[in-house]
Amino acid sequence: MSSLLRVMTARRVWAVVVLAALAVAGCAERRADEVRLVFRHSRMPGERDPLPALLREFERRHPGIVVAHEPLPWTADVQHQFYVINLEGRSAGFDVLMLDVIWTAEFARAGWLLDVTDRWPAAERREHFPSMVEAATLGDRLWAVPWVMNVGLLYFRADLLGRQGFAPPTSYASLAEQAAAVMHAAGEPRLAGFLWQGKQYEGLVVNVLEAMWGEGTDLVGRDGRLLPEPARAAAALAHRRALLTHGISPPLVTAADEELTRREFGAGRGVFLRNWPYARALFEAGGSPVAGRVGVAALPGGGALGGAHLAIHAGTRHPEAAWALVRHLASPAAQRAIADAVGLHPTRPALVDDAALRAIFAGARPRPVTPWYQTLSATLQPELSAAILGLKPAGQALADAERRLAYFLRP
Amino acid sequence: MLAVVTVYPIVRVIALSLERRVPIFGIADFVGLANYAFLARDGAFWGAIRVTALFTVASVAAELVLGVAAAVALRAQRRGVAISLSLLLLPWCLPGVVTGRIFEWIYHPSAGLMNRLVAVVASAQPNWLGDPRLALPAVIAADVWRTTPFIALLVYARLVGVPAAVYEAAAVDGAGRGATFWRITLPLLRPVLLVALLFRTLDAVRAFDLMFILTGGGPAGVTETLTLYAYHSLFQTLQLGFGSASAVVVGALVVALAWGHLAATGERDAV
Amino acid sequence: MRSSGLADALVLGGVTLYATPVVWQLATSLTASGDPADVMAGLSLAHYRAVLGASPMPRALANSVGIAAAVTLLAAALAAPAAYALARLPVAGRRLLLLGIVLSTALPTVATVAPLYLIVRALGLRDTWLAVILADTSFALPLSIWLVVGFIREIPRELEEAAAVDGAGRLAALRHVLLPVLAPGLAAASLLTFLFAWNEFLLAYTFTATEASRTAPVALALFPGVFETPWGDIAAASMLASLPPILLVLALRRHLVRGLLAGSLKE
Repeated sequence: MSSLLRVMTARRVWAVVVLAALAVAGCAERRADEVRLVFRHSRMPGERDPLPALLREFERRHPGIVVAHEPLPWTADVQHQFYVINLEGRSAGFDVLMLDVIWTAEFARAGWLLDVTDRWPAAERREHFPSMVEAATLGDRLWAVPWVMNVGLLYFRADLLGRQGFAPPTSYASLAEQAAAVMHAAGEPRLAGFLWQGKQYEGLVVNVLEAMWGEGTDLVGRDGRLLPEPARAAAALAHRRALLTHGISPPLVTAADEELTRREFGAGRGVFLRNWPYARALFEAGGSPVAGRVGVAALPGGGALGGAHLAIHAGTRHPEAAWALVRHLASPAAQRAIADAVGLHPTRPALVDDAALRAIFAGARPRPVTPWYQTLSATLQPELSAAILGLKPAGQALADAERRLAYFLRP
Repeated sequence: MLAVVTVYPIVRVIALSLERRVPIFGIADFVGLANYAFLARDGAFWGAIRVTALFTVASVAAELVLGVAAAVALRAQRRGVAISLSLLLLPWCLPGVVTGRIFEWIYHPSAGLMNRLVAVVASAQPNWLGDPRLALPAVIAADVWRTTPFIALLVYARLVGVPAAVYEAAAVDGAGRGATFWRITLPLLRPVLLVALLFRTLDAVRAFDLMFILTGGGPAGVTETLTLYAYHSLFQTLQLGFGSASAVVVGALVVALAWGHLAATGERDAV
Repeated sequence: MRSSGLADALVLGGVTLYATPVVWQLATSLTASGDPADVMAGLSLAHYRAVLGASPMPRALANSVGIAAAVTLLAAALAAPAAYALARLPVAGRRLLLLGIVLSTALPTVATVAPLYLIVRALGLRDTWLAVILADTSFALPLSIWLVVGFIREIPRELEEAAAVDGAGRLAALRHVLLPVLAPGLAAASLLTFLFAWNEFLLAYTFTATEASRTAPVALALFPGVFETPWGDIAAASMLASLPPILLVLALRRHLVRGLLAGSLKE
C-alpha cells in the first residue's frame, strides 16, 4: 500500500518539477527578450519632474525595453565620487548616465564611456550649440550627447542703468565704472556694485575664467599650454581683487556662492550680478522686489558653459538600447518638455525662442576640456582664493598654481 | 595577523609615495623621491606645516590651562560631581562632524550665536569662517571646546588621588590658595600633564574632521592642516602617489612625536 | 570655608554654560523655524520628523550601528588573544612589537587611506560595510591591544598560576579566572573602540558612495540641501547622530574613565 503511495507521490513530484522547469524556461525566454536599462541622473529641481513621462513614452515606442531610473546624490562633488567609485568596477549597475559637462573628458579618458562618434550623424551634431559638442569631445572622438545647458549671464538692474543712460557694459572695466557711477548716484550704502561668486569652490574658477576671457586671454591656450599669457591673466585676476578693495564688490563676495549672490541681487541690493540662467525665473516671480527691472546680457568675453551630457557606460550590455534611450531623451521634443517643466535649457539653438538669449548661449565657452579638469580646478581654487582675499599678489598666485600643475600634469 | 591589517597599509603607502599614480587613468610609474622633492619645494606644504604648528600650540596650551582650571573647580565641588562630569564629557564624545556642524551654525554670519552676541555690543558682523584672519582662531576655539573635558578628566582623576592631608598641612603652614596651587598642586600634576600634553599634541596634529566640515581648509588654505593637505593631494587632485608622499610625511611626523615623548619620559622601558 | 553649596552651584553652572553649543544645537532642532531664539514660542518636532522620514539619516544611523558593533566585536576578538600573548607569553621581539603597536596608535587615518582605498577597489568592496569595518579595525586594533595589555599586566600572574595549580588547563584558567577580572578592562577598551568606529569620518567618507553603506557622520557631513542650508534639519540630524555615543558614555562613564586613565597613567 505504502509503495503505491510512494510511486504516486514521486510522480507528483516529478510533474511539479517538470512544470516548474517549463515555467522557468518560459520566463527566461521572456526575460531574455526584455531589455532592462538603468538610467542615473541628478534630481530635477522643482515639483514637476518630466522624466517619468519621457521614459514611459520611450518604453511605448520601444516595446521590450524597460527603463529604471535612479537619482544621484545631491551635490556635484558627491555625484562625482559616486561615479568614480562605481565606474571603476567592471559592472557599474547602470547603462546611461547624466554627467556634468566638466566630467565628460575625464570619464572618457578613464575608459568608462562608450564612443558614440559613429552612431551620431554629423548632421544631428550640428543641431546643437558647438560648445556643448566640444565639451563632449576628446581626441577627436565623441563620448556623450548634450542634454541640458547653462551659460554664465550678466544680470543688471535695467532701471538703475537706465537712469544713468548706460547700455550694458562690454568689458569688465566699464562694468566697474558703471557700477561705481550707479552706486554713487543711488547713495544707498547697502547697494553692491557687482555681485559674483568668490568662495573657494568650483564657482570661483568659473568666475575667474570669465574674467580672463573678458581680458582677452585664457587659462589654457589653443595648444593646451597652461596660461599662455600670464601677465594678462594676472591682470584679470588682479582686477577682481580691485573690485573688492575699491568697494564695488562687497566683502561677502569672497565667501559667496550662487545662492547667496542671487538672494542679495533679488532683494534689490545689487547693480550687476553674474549668475546662471536659473535665477531669471526667480527674479520675475511674483513678489520679487526686482520683478520687471532685471535685464540680461552676455558677459564680456563670453559666459562659462555649464549643464549636462548624457553618456553610455562602456560596459553596458545593451549598447543599442542605451543609444536609443539617449537619443530619445536628447531629442528636440524631450528637451522642450524638460525646459517647460523645470527650466533647464535645451542645447539646440532652434529651441531657444528668445533671439537675444540664443546669441548669448551661442557665445558660451566651455571650461578647459581636459581629463585633468578636476586636478586643474582643485589646484587653482586655493590660489585664486588667496588672490581674491589679497593674501597673495595675483601674479604669484597664478605662478604657484602653475608650478603645482606642471608637476601633476607632466606627460 | 595584526601585521597584515596594520603593517601592510603602512608599507604600501610608502611604496605608493614613490610612484606617480592616477588610478582612474591607469597611470602608475615609479618616480623615486620626486614626490618628496616637490613637497619640499611646495609653498602650500610649508603653509600646512605652519598652520598645523599654530593650531597645535594654541589648542594644546589653551586646553591645558582650561582643563586644569576645570579640574580644580570640579575638585571644589562637594555634591553633584557625577552630573558635572557627565555634562563635561558631553563635548568630548560627540563625533567630530557633529561638533563641526554645531560650530558651523554658531559661526553663521547672520543667524549664528556668536554674531547674535556680538550684535549686542557692536555693529560689525564678522564672517568667522570666511575671514582669513578669523578662520583659524575660530577652528581652534571649536577644538579647544571639544577636547578640554578630556584633560579636565585626567587632571581631576589625579587630583582626587591627592590626600586631603597634604592640603591641610599647607594650610597649617599658612600657605595661601595661590601658593598652594603653584607649589603643591601643579608639581603633583606634572606627570599627568605630560601625558595629556602628548595625547593632545598627537591629536591636534592628526585633527581632520573638524576643519574639514568647518572650512575645508579655506579660505585660501589658512586652516589647511597637514592632514587636510594630504587629503586634498590624495583625492581632489587625484594624484595618489603625491598624496601618499604627504600622507607618509604626516604619519612619520606623528610617530616621531610619539617616539620622542616616550624616549623623553623614559616610558619606553615601561612598554 | 566658603559655603559648599555656592561652590557646587557655581561649578555646576559653569559646566552647564560650557555645554551651551550643544544646547544651542538642541534648541535649533526643536524650533519650527530653525531659529533657536524661537524656542520660547514653542517646541516642534518637525525637523526630527523630516530627518527620520525623508532623509538618508535613518539608514545611515543603522549603518553606523552595524559597522561600529562589528568593529567593536572584531577588535575585541582579535585584541584579547593578541594582548594575552604579548603580555604573558614569551613572544620573540615582544618589546619591539609592543613599541611598534604603541607608535602605530599615533597614526592618523589619512596616512593609510590611500593603500586601503586601493585594496578596497581591488577587492570590489567599494560601498560595502565590509570595507569600512576592515579599515576601522586596522586602526582600532593597535589601541585595543595596547590597552588590554595594560589591563592584563595589572592582574597578578599568581591568579592564573593558582588556577593552574588547582588543575585547570591554561584555556580553562583563562576563561574562568582571567576573563572575569579582565572584563571591566575589556569593556573599557570596547567602549573606546565603539566610539572611535562611530565617530570615524575619513575612512567612511572615502569608501562609501551611496546610502547603502554611508555612516551617520558622513551622512551628516553631506546632509542634503539643494539651495538653502536646512539648519534645523541638520541640528536634528546632529542630535540623532550623537545619541548613541552620548548614551553609551553616560551609562558606562566609569568604564570610560578607566579606559582613558589606563591608557594615560601607568603607575
